[in-house]
Amino acid sequence: MIDAFNAFLHREPVEGEWLVGVKDVIDVAGMPTTAASKVLRRVPPRDAECVARLRRAGATIVGKLNTHEFAFGALTNSPHFGPALNPWNPVHSTGGSSGGSGAAVAAGLVELALGTDTAGSIRIPSAFCGVTGHRPSTGLVPTDGVFPVSWTLDTVGPLARTAEECRRALEVMAGRLLEGSPRDLRVGVATRLFEQAESAVAAVCEEALGVLPGRREPVTIPLHDEISTITQLVMLPEAASAHLPWLRTRLPQYGADVRARLLAGLLLPATAHVTGLRARRWAIDEHERELGSCDLLVAPAMPCTAPRLDAIPADFRLALMPYNSPAALLGLPVTVVPCGFVDGLPVGLALYGRRGEDAVPLAAAAAFQRETDWHERRPAALESAAPRNREAVE
Amino acid sequence: MPLESNPLERLREQAALQGVSPTDDDLEAVLDFLTRILPALREIDERLPPETPQ
Repeated sequence: MIDAFNAFLHREPVEGEWLVGVKDVIDVAGMPTTAASKVLRRVPPRDAECVARLRRAGATIVGKLNTHEFAFGALTNSPHFGPALNPWNPVHSTGGSSGGSGAAVAAGLVELALGTDTAGSIRIPSAFCGVTGHRPSTGLVPTDGVFPVSWTLDTVGPLARTAEECRRALEVMAGRLLEGSPRDLRVGVATRLFEQAESAVAAVCEEALGVLPGRREPVTIPLHDEISTITQLVMLPEAASAHLPWLRTRLPQYGADVRARLLAGLLLPATAHVTGLRARRWAIDEHERELGSCDLLVAPAMPCTAPRLDAIPADFRLALMPYNSPAALLGLPVTVVPCGFVDGLPVGLALYGRRGEDAVPLAAAAAFQRETDWHERRPAALESAAPRNREAVE
Repeated sequence: MPLESNPLERLREQAALQGVSPTDDDLEAVLDFLTRILPALREIDERLPPETPQ
């Protein structure tokens, strides 16, 4: 392992300002891209566009960060590179797929990490590792130079200590300032996502609601029971299509879980993807009709804390889907902020904005972080960490 | 044995037509997934307003 948490898959001996780690599905010129797989290994000549923009703004790219194989899963436990370890308790998962990104920020190894989020992959590790993460509106940040999971759902976004740092990075990657500041916010509280969460997690998030700005009211996300299935109908065939040449020639080299999901996408009926795309339009229309007047939606980012690596529940991915799928399918921006702990493990609160209004959840998250100090907490194991690492984040 | 009575063989044939050769374990995992998602897909298809565009 390159570091104590297996966060990095590749690290350069560089010094500089604004230290940034990059998830290993995003190209960095001269560094290997493997997607934590045995199938992909390329050394690209050019940076992905989002990386190039960060470099031009003064970032120092430190290395490539661990991920679920091909960013196609809710953990970061590649059979080829080993699991990323949670800095709050290294026998627990970081979540995924951007688990190396969550671990690197939580451990103070970088100031900023890039992740990708197709259906939760920034939000899960942000919540489990106690860092701030932002899934951008779909299309806000270019995905050129990023190995795809699903072309119509993929996003690239930041993980950092604070919402202000996420906003700075996002504006650089988007190539423009994010307009809009929240005033007299109407906040919809997604009650079913509170009810479905573990009671201790829900209680922490309910307490956090009291610190948020705005007027709160209970809401239900339309098509709550269908939205996870619709997301799978869109994502799986697109992923299978992206991998088809390798499915033909290198199938045994994939980890078993990723192989099964890719094959499922291959063997779904051809109409499934079309139904998924049409049902997405239906879900967007219902969402706008029912919740279009809400400036923000809030919910527990995840229904549980990070599971032990040796005791991942069989239904783990299914249990997370209702929390991950709505923003994925609808293309909504979501900021996840640390909001407390259960049994020593972090809990995250998710703030959803309207599509294209990323500034609103980011500003609400910043307001929350001016009133709380959850984002300043450090894992006890890091109290003896190298001063340079600590200075980088404090 | 007729293909209709053996879903694993049917899936294997579909994969082979696309040039892919999964193992029995792979196909069992896929079958488990399809058994769960296809009824949900059918239900969504039936509820989807017919005028919904792509």
